[in-house]
Amino acid sequence: MIRSRLIKPLLFYVFASILAIFALIPFFWMVSTSLKSKGALISIPIEWIPEKVSFEGYEKIFTVFPFAQAIFNSLFISVASTMLVLASALMAAYVFAKIEFKGREIVFTVFLATMMVPGQVTMIPVFLVLKEFQLLNSFTGLLLPTVFNPFAIFMLRQFIKTIHNDFVDAAFIDGASQPNIFLRIIVPLSMPIIATLGIVTFMGSWNDYFWPLIVLSDRDLMTLPLALSSLNGQYGSEYNTLMAGSLISMLPIIILYMFAQGFFKTGLQMGGIK
Amino acid sequence: MRNKRDRMKWLTIVLFLLPSTIGLLVFSIIPIFYSLIISFTDWNGLNPWNLAAGTPDFIGFGNFKAILEGEEFWRVLKNTMYYIVLYIPLILAASVLAAILLNNAYRAIGLYRVIFFIPVLTSWVAAALIWKWLLSDDYGPVNAILSFVAGIDGPAWLQDRTWAMPGIVFASIWKDMGFFALIMLGGLQAINPAYYEAAHIDGANFWKRFTRITIPLLSPMLFFVLIMCIINSFQLFPQVMIMTQDAGPYGSTQVMVERIYKFAFKYYKMGYASSFSWILFVIIFAFTAIQMKLQKKWVHYDS
Amino acid sequence: MVKLRFVKALTIIVIIAMVSVIAACSGGNDKNAAESSGTPSASDSPKASESPKETSEAPEENVTVKFGNFSGAGDTAKYLTQMQEAFEKEHPNIKIEIETIAYGDYFTQMQTRVAAGQAPDAYELNYENFVSYAKKGVLLDINPFFEATQFDKSTLNQQALNAFSADGTQYGMPGSFSNVLLIYNKELFAEANAELPTNDWTWKEFDDAAAKIRALDKNTFGVFQPIQFHEFYKLVQQNDGSLLNADKTAFTVNSPENVETLQRLVDRVLKSNVMPTQAQLSGVGDWDLFKAGRLGMIVTGVWAFSDFMQNVKFEWDVAVEPGNKKKATHFFSNGLVINKDSKVAEAAFEWIKFLSSSKEAAKIRVDAGWELPAVTYPDVLEAYLKTTPPANRQAVFDSLEFLVTPPVIEQFTEMADILGIHLTAASEGAKSAQEALDDAQKELTDKIKLQ
Repeated sequence: MIRSRLIKPLLFYVFASILAIFALIPFFWMVSTSLKSKGALISIPIEWIPEKVSFEGYEKIFTVFPFAQAIFNSLFISVASTMLVLASALMAAYVFAKIEFKGREIVFTVFLATMMVPGQVTMIPVFLVLKEFQLLNSFTGLLLPTVFNPFAIFMLRQFIKTIHNDFVDAAFIDGASQPNIFLRIIVPLSMPIIATLGIVTFMGSWNDYFWPLIVLSDRDLMTLPLALSSLNGQYGSEYNTLMAGSLISMLPIIILYMFAQGFFKTGLQMGGIK
Repeated sequence: MRNKRDRMKWLTIVLFLLPSTIGLLVFSIIPIFYSLIISFTDWNGLNPWNLAAGTPDFIGFGNFKAILEGEEFWRVLKNTMYYIVLYIPLILAASVLAAILLNNAYRAIGLYRVIFFIPVLTSWVAAALIWKWLLSDDYGPVNAILSFVAGIDGPAWLQDRTWAMPGIVFASIWKDMGFFALIMLGGLQAINPAYYEAAHIDGANFWKRFTRITIPLLSPMLFFVLIMCIINSFQLFPQVMIMTQDAGPYGSTQVMVERIYKFAFKYYKMGYASSFSWILFVIIFAFTAIQMKLQKKWVHYDS
Repeated sequence: MVKLRFVKALTIIVIIAMVSVIAACSGGNDKNAAESSGTPSASDSPKASESPKETSEAPEENVTVKFGNFSGAGDTAKYLTQMQEAFEKEHPNIKIEIETIAYGDYFTQMQTRVAAGQAPDAYELNYENFVSYAKKGVLLDINPFFEATQFDKSTLNQQALNAFSADGTQYGMPGSFSNVLLIYNKELFAEANAELPTNDWTWKEFDDAAAKIRALDKNTFGVFQPIQFHEFYKLVQQNDGSLLNADKTAFTVNSPENVETLQRLVDRVLKSNVMPTQAQLSGVGDWDLFKAGRLGMIVTGVWAFSDFMQNVKFEWDVAVEPGNKKKATHFFSNGLVINKDSKVAEAAFEWIKFLSSSKEAAKIRVDAGWELPAVTYPDVLEAYLKTTPPANRQAVFDSLEFLVTPPVIEQFTEMADILGIHLTAASEGAKSAQEALDDAQKELTDKIKLQ
């Protein structure tokens, strides 16, 4: 008994730490490189810890670039797009999970089938559609195509399906309307998956590169990945500048992710209740 | 009463599906078929359409024929399959392991959750740079570890025809593990702990619990992840573009989407690229359909 | 069951799509008609093109010219801004709106925008892409403007200007140009007791010196000259070969001259190893290798000057690249073109003329060390020559005598990629030079349409 009580945590920490190191080594190198001066970059053997810490890279990205503006743009777009996706996907997922109607499965399959089409296929046509609506070079044009997200709908539907019908039926008998049930029961109970999806969507939007590249052309509207990519194009060999930019662009999502941990915990507890 | 409720129901259905459906139509289905039309033309992707003047020219199945008869398509398909065969088992194993570890209540769990997820948050631009160096021949830590642990003199991964693709697989696992672990974790948390308690009382060891309870109950999630992984693998692109610029030594990392991108935006053959992507779509569709068929054999739906 | 559902789903998608595409097409036509009659689209900023076509001919009216470019990115952005300010001072009624896109993304974005009729009024194209754009008829013929403004063509380098005409029509002006030289580490030459490069060098002296430097130690290499398309088309000409026959109707990739050229390149890597293999480079960039003092000679462009001037700690200089049977040197140029559908073409022309041929712009370029202006003003060039290092800057102009242009055809990029793959196969030793070029010849003949 005592043995197994000791061994289990030990095993956990050993395995988890191995994976953690695997995940972190590159990240560690990013941090260390971003703090090197230009000269120390190509030294052999590799310096894991910079001999002399230099903030050259960080200074550079903020002086040569409208980096702050890009951070703001990315934040705005990612938040807005996450809200839009979650709202529209939750509504659709609720219908697909809890409301029976004829042809539901087919409509659902149509939704899912679109996931298989490579993005490059539809890019130019979507661009032409946006042009028709005169939405190019605007945040609206960037955001609208994200409203439909089959992946989010699928994930949410799978989760909502597991919510007991008893809850819904009971509310129905009490005379609650569909939107009421949706807002009062489904949404609160789906919080763990909403948090997970929220992160995933936020991240997707935050790191999205191809789409903003094509839709936006004003420098003032530039998002972080565009800024990073042009940084890469211009200072390709200045790894310190590049890594400083990459790190700064990662910080907001890491913080957000830590913050969302709370929701995952409630997810755990709810698993226990059910 | 009944009528009112029915009307209410349909109103809900329509209103709730409206935003997604409009999005689906305008930004997915119309573009998909626009691209199908393009695939029957010789459009170069530059000239605005002017059907009256014959821009572009409709050439029927010309593009499809050229693709399927050429040697390139089959080579690229082979490269893609090579990636899939290596990637799928590894990512499934790694993400299940990570998810099981994360489905514990130890104190440090929050920290591990953040750490496992950090690669997912890294942009490919940075990740590819790091991995180029990690996998380099003389100075790369991967080869250093290989020679230390197993005494193997590792290859120059990304510069070697045989090893470039495994190198990319390695980096992709690193990048995707946290993401799929997170999804699997959702599946694990949905498993009723009562099953484990019962098994515990029966004296089942860890391996038994894993194979008899975890895997079957996780199988719908595993199935979903498998399908996602296959679709994503066929659409493999950014890591190839950034890690091996010209698609690797002797084209060994040329894959489907990389070709599509090159044809559409580098070689000015938009019609050809569209045909290529439709063939890709058909392949993905076939694979998914086969998976759907096979799922009955191993996926358990808990009703 | 599942399959059936998929089929049904697909059928529904098809029907919906047909209907909506038809609807979209018919709706779209009206809108297009409205647009071509001169109404600006809303996504253009209001000031951009509110002026209908006629007003651009009245200079009092204010116009805005959108200018897309890739070379004014990062450190060079401020020089482009200087040029813009100088221009706007001279032309108070023309406002320039600069859109800078990183090189790696530039052509992708430009292509989508040209296809959607959203291209900027004037934009930059490199030489290879210029031909694709010109042949596809999306650029404006600027000859009428030359005549109307009585433009003095002698202010521009003739070769550079001619580069931007296709099928006898002038579609662009050279914005800048650059060429490639032999850059060498003087200290390594002294250490190895090798004679310094001169303009008369041939392949033999070149390779001998490389071998001497390679002998210095394990981590020092003699030369870096990548085995890739852009080097290869030039090198075969040094050996009297070429990739295409004279009237560009057939490939001549596997001619004996070409095989000999490739063999020499491969031997430098695999046999004498005066040039590092990919594994020996291990991700270190060629410039970095030179800057680290581990490379005797590097064949690279004048665009390396500003970096090397700042970051090279040892003595270095340049010479005209050695040839074999004859000399051949690179010519790279970025052209400035006007969108065929621009509503402010005349103002756009004033702007590209200023960038390309004005003394002010040329001076800004020279002072900044930002490639070379394609102009012929003696005093401007004088100033360029005076800047050191390298001491032998004259070599930049000496090289102009031997310029060769890439074998430009419509499917240029595709051709370059295909040949590139076969060249890599040879450089790795996976195939002999002869086999690699035979395979390349076959694949190119299959895939590339020549006229």
